[in-house]
Amino acid sequence: MKAKNSEISSSTSRNKVFPRLMTLPTVIILAVMTAYPLVFTVYYSFTNYVYGKKKGYSVVGLNNFFTLLKTPYFQQAIWNTVKFTIIGVILEIVIGLLVAVFVNSLKRGQKVMRVLLLLPYLLPTVTVALAWKMMLSSNYGIVNQVLETFHIPSHNWFMEIGTAFNTIIVIDVWQNVPFVFLMLYAVLQGVSQDQYEAARIDGANRWQIFWKITIPNIKGGIALCALLRTIDTFRVFDKVNILTGGGPANSTATITQYLYTYGIRNLKFGLGSAGAIIMTILVMILSIPYIRRVVK
Amino acid sequence: MNLKKVIALGAAATMAVSLAACGSSSSTATTAESTAASTAEAASTADAAEPAASGETTKMTLALRGGTYGAVIEACLDQFEAENNVDIEVLQLEFDDLHSKIALDAPNATGAYDLVMVDGSWMAEFTENEVLLNLSDEGYSFDEDIIPGTTSICKVGDDIYLAPYFGNVTVMLYNKELVEAAGYTADKIESFDDVMAICTAAKDAGKNGYVTRGGSADSILSDFIPVMLANGAWVVDENNQPTVNTPEMKAALEQYAALQATGTTMEKDDIVGQLDNGDGALAVGWPGWYSPTEDSAASYTVIPTKLTASSEALSTSMYGVWTIGVPANAPNKDLGVKLLEYLMDPEVQLSTVENGGVPCRYSVLQNADVLAKYPTLSIVCDALEVGVYRPVIAEWSDFTEIFGTEIDNFMQGTESLDDALANAQGQLEVLMAG
Repeated sequence: MKAKNSEISSSTSRNKVFPRLMTLPTVIILAVMTAYPLVFTVYYSFTNYVYGKKKGYSVVGLNNFFTLLKTPYFQQAIWNTVKFTIIGVILEIVIGLLVAVFVNSLKRGQKVMRVLLLLPYLLPTVTVALAWKMMLSSNYGIVNQVLETFHIPSHNWFMEIGTAFNTIIVIDVWQNVPFVFLMLYAVLQGVSQDQYEAARIDGANRWQIFWKITIPNIKGGIALCALLRTIDTFRVFDKVNILTGGGPANSTATITQYLYTYGIRNLKFGLGSAGAIIMTILVMILSIPYIRRVVK
Repeated sequence: MNLKKVIALGAAATMAVSLAACGSSSSTATTAESTAASTAEAASTADAAEPAASGETTKMTLALRGGTYGAVIEACLDQFEAENNVDIEVLQLEFDDLHSKIALDAPNATGAYDLVMVDGSWMAEFTENEVLLNLSDEGYSFDEDIIPGTTSICKVGDDIYLAPYFGNVTVMLYNKELVEAAGYTADKIESFDDVMAICTAAKDAGKNGYVTRGGSADSILSDFIPVMLANGAWVVDENNQPTVNTPEMKAALEQYAALQATGTTMEKDDIVGQLDNGDGALAVGWPGWYSPTEDSAASYTVIPTKLTASSEALSTSMYGVWTIGVPANAPNKDLGVKLLEYLMDPEVQLSTVENGGVPCRYSVLQNADVLAKYPTLSIVCDALEVGVYRPVIAEWSDFTEIFGTEIDNFMQGTESLDDALANAQGQLEVLMAG
C-alpha cells in the first residue's frame, strides 16, 4: 500500500513538473524579449543615460519626467497624439464597419472584394508614406493636378499648417481601414442568419436590423478592433517622420516623433525611456474602456 | 469578477503594456540590434583582418553619407582595393542613421568601420566622446592645396581628426529664364534687394519667387542662415551663449518672411523640381543637390553678400562640408588612414568631379579643364573660401531643433515674431546651461 501511495505521489509530481517544463521556453522568451527591455526602460527612465558618453551616467530620480511634462513641445506632442488617435480610430472603425457590412451583404464577389480591400494594409508603412508623398507633391503630384483640372485650389499638403495633420490622418485611415474591415468581416460571418430572417419576418427595416442585430452581435469585435487600433495608432511614427518630421510648426509632432527627435536620435536613452513610460501610461488609460468591455 | 475575468483582464493589460512598450522603445530595440550587428560586423572584420597577414584579402567597411557624397567615394575605390588587397564594403546612410551608427559603434572595443563620413556639426560631440582617431598622430597633415577655411572644423587645437572631403556650401539656386525675365543675370544678383526684385517679378508673373525649405527644424534653420548672416545676426556669441533674440535676428526673420511671401515652402527635391521646371525663381541650396550643365534650366550662383547695394559685404555662405575620418576603434586603423590619404590625394579627388564630386581643393576647383565643363565649380570655390561653419557645440542638434521649430512657428503664423524669438532664447539658455 505504501509503495502504491509513493508511486501515485511520484506520478502526481511528474504531472506537475512536465507542464512547467513545457512552458519554460515560452517563459524564458517572454522574459528576455518583453520583461528585460521593460525593466531596463523603467530603470533608464530614472537616469540621465546618454549612450556613448564617456562621462557615464547617474540616477536623476523623476527629473526626466518633470522635464518632459514641462516642455511645451512635448505637451503639444501628447495633444497631437491623443487627437490623432481619437480621430483616426473613430474613422477607421466607422469606415471599416460600413465596408465589412457592405461586403458581407454581397451575394457575389466577396472574395475579390476582400483581396482588393486588404491591399493597403499589406503594404509596408514606408512604401505607403512615400507613395502618398509622391501623389501629394506640389510639383508633380497627381492629386494637385486633378484639383487644378477642376479649378479647385491645390495645396502644399505637408507644408501647410492647415492641411498637414489632416492629410496624415487620411493616409493612416486609408492604410488601416482594411484591418478593421477584416476583423469585423470575420465576426460578421459568425452571426446567425436566423436572427436576420426573424427580424425581416417581424418587419424590421435595414437600419433596425443593423442597429438591433448586427451591432449587438459584433460589439465584442468592435471593442477589440478599437483596442488594437488605439494601441497601434498611439505609436504612429513612420508616417509622421517620413512625411512631415513633426512639422509644420510642430502641428504633426506625435509622442514617438518627439522622443525620436529629442531622445533617441541624440542617444539620450534616459529621456527617451521616460517618454516611453509616459506613453505607456497614456495608452493604458485610453485602453481601459476597451479592456473592460472585452472582459465583461 | 471571477477568476476567468481576472486572468483575461491581466492578459489584456499585459498585451497593452507590451505593445506600447515595444513600440515606444522600438528605437532602443533597433539600437540594440544595431549594436549587436556592429559587434558581429566588427568580429567578422577582425576575423577577416587576421588572414590578411597570410596574404588573404582584408575586409574594410566604410560608413558614408548616402547620395552623391558617398557615391563619389565608392566610385574610386577599385584602385585602392587592388593595390592593398582589400575588399571594401560601403554603407551609404541617411544623415541621422549615419550619425547614430557611428555613435553607437564608438563604445565597442573594436569597431565596425574603418573610415566614416562626418558632418561638421557632429565634431564637438565626437571629440568629447573620443570617437575619432587623431590623424596627426598617424602622420597625416593638410597640404596647401586644400582651401584653408574648410579645415577649421577638422582640428582640435593643432591636432587633425578629420579631412574636408566634399565641398558642400550653401549657394543660390536660380531659374535662368525667370531671372532673365526680371532683367537680371546671375552675376548681377549682388544683394538681397536684387533677390527680392527678382522674386517679386516672378510672383507678378504668376510663378513662385523665393522657395524656402521646410520639413525638419535643421532644414529650416539651414535655409534661413544665409539671410541671418546677411543681416549681421548669428546664433551664439564668442562664448557659445545663444544670441537669437536680437534686433538683427528680428530683421533677418522679417526679411525671410517677406521673401517667403513671394513664393512657397517645400522640401529639398521639390525645391529642385520647382526651379528646374520654371515654377520657382530662387532658393538656397547645396551643390550636392543639383549638377547643372550649360543646357540646364536652372543653375546656381554665390549667395549675395550684401543686404542692399550700398551695405557692407558679409560672409553669407554656410559650410555643410562632408569630412572623412577614421574611428578610434577602427578594426584596420592603418588601412583606414591609408585610405583617407588615398581619397584626399589631388589626382584621386580630380577624378571624382566626373561623378559629381566637389573637392575642397584649389587644384580641382580652379582647374581650367574642369571649369570648362563645370563652370559652377568656380562659384563653389569662392563660397568655400568665405564660408561660415555652424557653431562647434555638443548641443547643436538640440539647439537646431529648438530654434528651427520657433522659426517655423513664426513662419506658419502660430506665434508672433517677438514670442518666437523670446521662446527660442529662453529655451536655448536653459539648454546651454546644461
